[in-house]
Amino acid sequence: MTQLSRNSLPQVEGQAAPLLPVPLSFERNWLQDLESRLEKGGPWGDWKCSRLAVQGEQSGLVTSFDELQCTKHLSGLSPLPHQLDTAHKVLFEMSGRAILADEVGLGKTIEAGLILKEYLVRGLVGKVLILVPASLVLQWVRELNAKFGITAVAQKKAYSWGNDIVVASLDTAKRDPHKELLLSSEYDMLIIDEAHKLKNKKSTNYQFVQQLRKKYCLLLTATPVQNDLGELFNLITLLKPGQLGNQGDFAANFVVDKRQPKNEVQLRGELSKVMIRNRRGEGPVNFTKRKVRNIPLILSPEEKALYDGVTAFVKDTYQESGGNLSSMLSLVTLQREVCSSRDAVFITLVNLIKKLPADSPKRDRMMELLQSIRTVKTNTKAEKTMELIRDMNEKVIVFTEYRATQEYLLQYFRDHGLQCVPYSGGMNRGKKDWMMDLFRGRAQVMIATEAGGEGINLQFCHHMINFDLPWNPMRVEQRIGRVHRLGQQNDVVIYNLSTQGTIEEHILHLLHEKINMFEMVIGGLDVILERFEQKESLEKSLYKIMLEARSDEELRSSLDHIGESLSGLSQEARKESRATP
Amino acid sequence: MTLTAQEVRKHVMEYLEATDCTIIEVSPLHVTVKLSPRADRMLTDRPYYWGFVERTGAAPETLSFTFVFDPEQYDHAAAQAAAPARTRSAVNQPQVSLNAEAAAEPAAAGTAPDGAPAGGPPGVSADPQDSILARYFGVVPALPRLGPGMIRREDVIYGSKRLNQIWAAARDEGKCLQLFEDPGSRQRMTLFSAAYEPWLGVCYKVEMTCDLKREELHFLGISLTTGKIATDFGSRLDRLELTPRLPENIHIQPYDLSVSGGADRLESYLTGQLAGMDYSWAEQARERLKLELSIVDLYYAELLKEPDEEKKQAIEEQYNARRTETAWQYEPQVAVSAVTYGLFHLRSS
Repeated sequence: MTQLSRNSLPQVEGQAAPLLPVPLSFERNWLQDLESRLEKGGPWGDWKCSRLAVQGEQSGLVTSFDELQCTKHLSGLSPLPHQLDTAHKVLFEMSGRAILADEVGLGKTIEAGLILKEYLVRGLVGKVLILVPASLVLQWVRELNAKFGITAVAQKKAYSWGNDIVVASLDTAKRDPHKELLLSSEYDMLIIDEAHKLKNKKSTNYQFVQQLRKKYCLLLTATPVQNDLGELFNLITLLKPGQLGNQGDFAANFVVDKRQPKNEVQLRGELSKVMIRNRRGEGPVNFTKRKVRNIPLILSPEEKALYDGVTAFVKDTYQESGGNLSSMLSLVTLQREVCSSRDAVFITLVNLIKKLPADSPKRDRMMELLQSIRTVKTNTKAEKTMELIRDMNEKVIVFTEYRATQEYLLQYFRDHGLQCVPYSGGMNRGKKDWMMDLFRGRAQVMIATEAGGEGINLQFCHHMINFDLPWNPMRVEQRIGRVHRLGQQNDVVIYNLSTQGTIEEHILHLLHEKINMFEMVIGGLDVILERFEQKESLEKSLYKIMLEARSDEELRSSLDHIGESLSGLSQEARKESRATP
Repeated sequence: MTLTAQEVRKHVMEYLEATDCTIIEVSPLHVTVKLSPRADRMLTDRPYYWGFVERTGAAPETLSFTFVFDPEQYDHAAAQAAAPARTRSAVNQPQVSLNAEAAAEPAAAGTAPDGAPAGGPPGVSADPQDSILARYFGVVPALPRLGPGMIRREDVIYGSKRLNQIWAAARDEGKCLQLFEDPGSRQRMTLFSAAYEPWLGVCYKVEMTCDLKREELHFLGISLTTGKIATDFGSRLDRLELTPRLPENIHIQPYDLSVSGGADRLESYLTGQLAGMDYSWAEQARERLKLELSIVDLYYAELLKEPDEEKKQAIEEQYNARRTETAWQYEPQVAVSAVTYGLFHLRSS
């Protein structure tokens, strides 16, 4: 078809090109396409398809600047109100740069997924980098694919970086040759999980993330203000430099002491511009109940003898050293381990003996202790645990602080025909995933050490046994948070094993009776601890009391004293949260 | 705007019909379909297979799917249909029917009352994602199941990948058009040939972007004979019967405008339309940008007092990077692209 183009047509009323207040660009590739097809005489598209395409485009149109679109595109996921609120806030008030700092188990990943989905639907984001701890890579990939229909890919080989949405471990990404590649690209969105690993601005993690070029950025962490205001400042500077002013301004305006803020109201106001922190017990989030069962146990005579022996040794050594706390850490460990298993004590003792000079007078005493370990043939706690597991006949996670205890339990359970898997921080990513899968599928019991506490989600299991207790309440809460989180369908039963007449009994009493921590769905634990720990960490206070108490009586009264001040603080916090809705 | 199951169904069925797929079974809740080679190429992501077919000339074997538009109701109906079917032990019947499908589905989902053991602890999970590949990659795309009766079920609802893929495929196949109005059979008999006017039609997508975004569609048409512009050109076309073949006994009026000339006019018309809009969103975005930049400036002004030349340079680099990032995030702009476009020859009125 020839085209005669006579430019005789009257120009449309000589209008000057109107000026837009915003740069305007026309994409004109279509014209070339059309002209070349006219020249070649086709091929031509299908009219029905064309209409369908327009209708599809019409239905996906973002018609409003300020309305969440993503919920329409999700099926099988009904986000909770606080999660939608968070997504809304990040988009429309924070312009896509925020710290998501919900308490453990409130679904930070869901919030991040919602925000990402919204930006994808709006076409504002194409290239995305998600950096998470190695053990969480596959979990992120699965959740984004299954819950949000987002085609995320786990970084496996160098070419994986070429995908639009990549999940990788921060430790891999910051290393060469990946680092160079990543720093030379631009990311529409950067998401970092467990972002408290970025609190130190001298670290390679921090500098790497600072150099990445990003448009929107989400930092996820459950423990943003754990101990140090300076760390909080660093995290925010990473996200929005200058938001809290310079380090100097910040120090002058908001900091009294490393742990103690001033002008709290003002600080909170500034923080709320970049950080969202939802708490348990706020809003209509319905968690299932926590049921606590304390299991008192009586040590066998041999075990009791060992316990007493170790306790006496620890105290005497402390007295001799003149009360120097910092060098006493291994002794404290010894004291705590003796409540867990003889295997744990044994290893620590042997290591201590190795370090002693050959002629040290302490040596004999320690050898004696080793001898008394030998006399212990049974483990009262392990027997009880076995019995509990048999009775419940469901999946259960057993937490212990010590690798030696973990090994012992594995062996013990296996000998008795229980299927169990270990989980610990030292495992590599593949092994962790494998263990998780085994636990989900075949094994009835998972035995985890404390290091395994972070980042694993075990909603399918609702029994947990604290074989021994950490003395830091936040760590206890983290343990519970693995199981008691969104998605848990059943009430969670927590078993605490405590041997009567030992330090363990006192600690359990303190955590359970005084701060009521096992049942505290009303959050706020971190607030209480922050206030308590303005002078010294709780853990350290406990160590001191334990080492310095001359009698059981004295121990009890000092612990009671701590308990009083903690329960006082928790009442105070409760009152405040009621006063400020 | 979201779509109901019925609207989604309409879209999917339209696509399947447009691409000549073989419908095996259909209900308001689902469709079981054997794809045509054309649709298979677009939807199943098997370039190697199709390369093989092209090179060897082997007869292509396309995939079949059951697309479910209302999963909840479908499962419900299937469960009901399955209950009597099972007592008659009809499960083993080889034919692909709603019943056989239905009997298999709830058993797999474990919803059948007499189905899987109720949650014994050491049960082995039957999760399809529990494969070695899934353990390595997190997720694996479900592999195509081949062979008679091997039909994969897929829930196609608004927001699902499949629906988006179907739209993308439709766009790919339907973006560039040349069509003629069907004059009807009477025109062939009449003495005088009918005069046809050439129109350039473009469906523009306008994207207004800052740190947020809004979009509009403008389906415009311009007569290449008279230069007249029609604003809602799409709905005018919808009312007509269009055919890709040049009808008999018609003639096309000469062009006064070239195609690119028409495009220029359409663009300046659209620009005029856009100029009349409310740009408070852009102003607000610029306000936000200004505020953010002032914070950045203030922060780095202090840091740039650094005496060490080397450190200062690093800070300056960071400062510039941060400024660029901020502008990238907030700077308002309007971008226009074309969804579909083509020449439409319509009867002159």
